[in-house]
Amino acid sequence: MALGLVIETAEEIVDAVVERGVDRLDLRSVPFIDPYALLLLSLALRERQTAGRCPLTVLWPETLAVRRWMTAMRFFDDLRERGPAREPLRSPSSALQPIVEIGDEAGVGRIVEGFERRLNDRYPLGPPARRRLVGVMFELFQNVPQHANATGELPSSYGVAAMQDYAESLVLAIADNGIGLGRSLALRSDPSPMDDEAAMRAAVLDGLSRFADPGRGHELQKIVGTVRSWEGTIVVRSGRALLYQSDREGDLYRVPPFPGVQIALRIPRRVFGIDEVAPEPETVFNEFDE
Amino acid sequence: MSSMNNAIFSVARYGTRLGTRSEGEQARGDLLAMLDTLPAKGCLIISLDGVDVLSGSFADEAVGKALQLLVGRAYGDRTMILRSPTLELTEDLADKLDQRKLAMLCVVGDAWSVIGRVAAPLRETLARVIERETVVVKDLADTLGIPANTCHNRIRRLVELRLIREEATGASAPQTQYRFRAIRCLED
Repeated sequence: MALGLVIETAEEIVDAVVERGVDRLDLRSVPFIDPYALLLLSLALRERQTAGRCPLTVLWPETLAVRRWMTAMRFFDDLRERGPAREPLRSPSSALQPIVEIGDEAGVGRIVEGFERRLNDRYPLGPPARRRLVGVMFELFQNVPQHANATGELPSSYGVAAMQDYAESLVLAIADNGIGLGRSLALRSDPSPMDDEAAMRAAVLDGLSRFADPGRGHELQKIVGTVRSWEGTIVVRSGRALLYQSDREGDLYRVPPFPGVQIALRIPRRVFGIDEVAPEPETVFNEFDE
Repeated sequence: MSSMNNAIFSVARYGTRLGTRSEGEQARGDLLAMLDTLPAKGCLIISLDGVDVLSGSFADEAVGKALQLLVGRAYGDRTMILRSPTLELTEDLADKLDQRKLAMLCVVGDAWSVIGRVAAPLRETLARVIERETVVVKDLADTLGIPANTCHNRIRRLVELRLIREEATGASAPQTQYRFRAIRCLED
């Protein structure tokens, strides 16, 4: 892979690791990875391991800045064993918010607080956009303990989140390896058969929830609306369906099957009143280059 | 407690950033317990003072579901209103009330508004009731320039939504007569 792995290109990972089942994943020429691609890579490697398929050799990016960033994001910890509560390493030029595991619902408030604190340390954000972003985090993070294993069919589900700032945007990513939107909606008392695309439309565009309670649902729909109003980009992936919505275009795409729900938001920094230009991650870590 | 008939339920006791349904469920338990201790026509003031973020999930679990019970007459003639430092803070709650087809009075400073799902004619009627404090249907219909039946239907809906109170006047011929009163518990 010679492309940067970002929201728009991260499907390459699923396609190679899960769909085609390659025995060697060559990331040496990858010049850039965003948090969404990083989480997808993490889950894809887990999925490959769980599926017991042929061993996978990964050739990591040769660009030191990218490897440094992946380390600062605790990606390699993830390949070993991650505890849910370790305080990430911080420095002005390090990862904004390393990968954090989302456990039970009781821990969601603490995780959101951590994300907000790290963001606020770097940029004192002004309301109301900050409040809205915190609200979005609450909704997306609690979806993992509430929905990822709603059927109870998995021995355990695994959810992670991470965030990074760039010259013109912030990228927030949340991913789990749970049952996905379709299986969750099948728990409704009046289920109608839905493939992944129909489930994506129902949950994200129409606001449907697995609960009959009228107060449930509509959160993903509202988040999509919020990101659009910010002229940002959002991607929601579940099973074989991927919804991509930017300020200019939006559509539903058929993608290789993958468990769980993966979401990314790319939000313009100007929404938060951040005017100064931050260094791009490719240059952020030059000071550490060996 | 602000008076014998009213009580203030401070949401900030659960934190400044309120987001999960499980936290909201705990808050709803405390809120309903406090509502239960009020007199028959008591009003619970739900205060958002000190709250920085109120997510839709927390708000729905704590306030939306409680209001659903109240409107279902599980708590007699008691009422609830919201007090918030800004209207913006209540946006996610307003969306959840809209989903539930409910509405709630919200006081910001000296101004009131209604959040949730209320049609424009009902808002207009509610504004007149609040302006006059107490009304009877015939007078209100004249003021609004609408038929008495239409006005009566609007008033009944506002009573059902717990946005105004209904009181028997004592005059009964040929049927029991009612007047309708604005919920003014903040000023009590």
